[in-house]
Amino acid sequence: MSALLEVKNLQTHFPIRAGVLQRPVAWVKAVDGVTFSINEGETVGLVGESGCGKTTLGRTILQLIEPTAGEILFNGAPVTDLREFRRQAQMIFQDPYGSLNPRMTVGNIIGEALRIHKLCATRQAERERVAHLLESVGLNPDHARRYPHEFSGGQRQRIGIARALAVEPKFIVCDEPVSALDVSVQAQIINLLQDLQEKFKLTYLFIAHDLAVVEHISDRVLVMYYGKVVEEATAEEIYSRPQHEYTKKLLAAVPSLPI
Amino acid sequence: MSDGPNNTGLWQIAWRQLRHNRFAMVCLAILGLYTAVWIYAEATFWGARIRGVTPAYKVSNYDIRNQPPSAAHPLGTNFAGRDNLSQMIQGTRIAFEIGLLTSVIVIPIGFALGAVAGYFGRKIDTAVVYLYSVIDSVPGILLIMAIAYVVRSVVERSEAFQAITRYVDSGLLAVCVGMGFTGWVGLCRLIRAEYFKHRERQYVLAARALGVSDGAIMFRHIAPNVLHLIIINFSLRFPGLVLTEAVLSYLGVGVRDEPSWGAIINDAKQRLWLGNWWELAGATAAMFFLVLALNIFGDALRDALDPKLRTAEAKTA
Repeated sequence: MSALLEVKNLQTHFPIRAGVLQRPVAWVKAVDGVTFSINEGETVGLVGESGCGKTTLGRTILQLIEPTAGEILFNGAPVTDLREFRRQAQMIFQDPYGSLNPRMTVGNIIGEALRIHKLCATRQAERERVAHLLESVGLNPDHARRYPHEFSGGQRQRIGIARALAVEPKFIVCDEPVSALDVSVQAQIINLLQDLQEKFKLTYLFIAHDLAVVEHISDRVLVMYYGKVVEEATAEEIYSRPQHEYTKKLLAAVPSLPI
Repeated sequence: MSDGPNNTGLWQIAWRQLRHNRFAMVCLAILGLYTAVWIYAEATFWGARIRGVTPAYKVSNYDIRNQPPSAAHPLGTNFAGRDNLSQMIQGTRIAFEIGLLTSVIVIPIGFALGAVAGYFGRKIDTAVVYLYSVIDSVPGILLIMAIAYVVRSVVERSEAFQAITRYVDSGLLAVCVGMGFTGWVGLCRLIRAEYFKHRERQYVLAARALGVSDGAIMFRHIAPNVLHLIIINFSLRFPGLVLTEAVLSYLGVGVRDEPSWGAIINDAKQRLWLGNWWELAGATAAMFFLVLALNIFGDALRDALDPKLRTAEAKTA
């Protein structure tokens, strides 16, 4: 197995600006020296409490936020061709309501990815591809004509997944893809993600704060705390023998029903 | 989700809500009437222009000057013996031309500056905010007058612009440019705030992750989400423009050779002490009802189109 993604000492700091000249007076160290790698076909879980930098790390890896320092190697090399990178690395978002443009039809939302990267020669080919994508995420091809507000949260999340898949990426950052969904729907989406991974040979970075979900889907788990990765282990190890203090707290905080 | 036909877009919902608002529908009918009058006035104006004759409303007849209302002249005649009703009708044309011409200047400036300021933020935003704060800090009517004077003298003196005055009254053009270059501030603020909000939305992030360019995100993705604000802003700004033009005409900066409502009222005030109320009655009433109808309809339109207000209403209902 070769590493698809390597992250070396990555830092993303945000300035806190103040005064008339808006000079930075302090820095929020959202990601503060993170190093890890993800192998091809692997699912790496990223857990941590709210505000610990999980989402910022995901967005920095996808070059949506400029890193302050550090290196990101994709396929063994730094990203130079951003356009090509956008075709290979995609994102699935947390909020199924905010992540779809309310003024665009589903067909247009998914089709745009195809148009941007010129993946379909004709309109007809694009329509067929969109219909195929909708089917592969368990939706009806007729849904292409509808607007996002006509769908439930779970269906919207499927649309978001279809959009990410449209460009046939190798790597997808799933940014808490199920945390905004009903518990009954969460399992469906998780299973869909696993099926798609098998079908399209995808590599996931799975961000979550729900440990049960992460244990279910991940091969390895990274525990993040205040901008740093404090523990890295296989899913079983994390649960059976947590090393770091914070990991132990995190596990202890999982609510369970008294039986 | 609904399995019904796809008829629940923003515009359909807004229209359904508007249709149940009887007050707004009456105002819409009034606005339709005004539009018909406007088209009629344009037809008369251009008909006379093409035939190369002086239009009827401009022909002076000093034998019948200052006459009270009669069957031949329902609103009487003015100091030059011109029919007050047809003057009022031409005033409608001027009012619409001002509203539309000014908006042609206001909307692109306000939208483009608001969009780039809100979307890019930081230095571009600071520059735009400084610019509109400066404009906003000068008393509006003075700035409009200053710009209007400059535009008018430039247009009238340069040969290159002479051709324009064959189609548009130079005074009208000057007033529209003046109001256009000062009037975009409100729209710009609105659009800027909205872009600030939308650029943080995940759908914008998703577009960026797909490699959509900034320009396409601004205009193809976010613009449709703020379009209703432009329409609302337009309908609420229109009456203000008509009123400002009336004030400017009254101050002698407005439309010159055409009977705008402001110019009519300005002329008529000189004979009001004679008791010639009919000379300004038509223009005043026409302006009053247009402004009223536009304001009420604009408010109703905002209620129907603005999702924030709609949810607030749904919660209380």
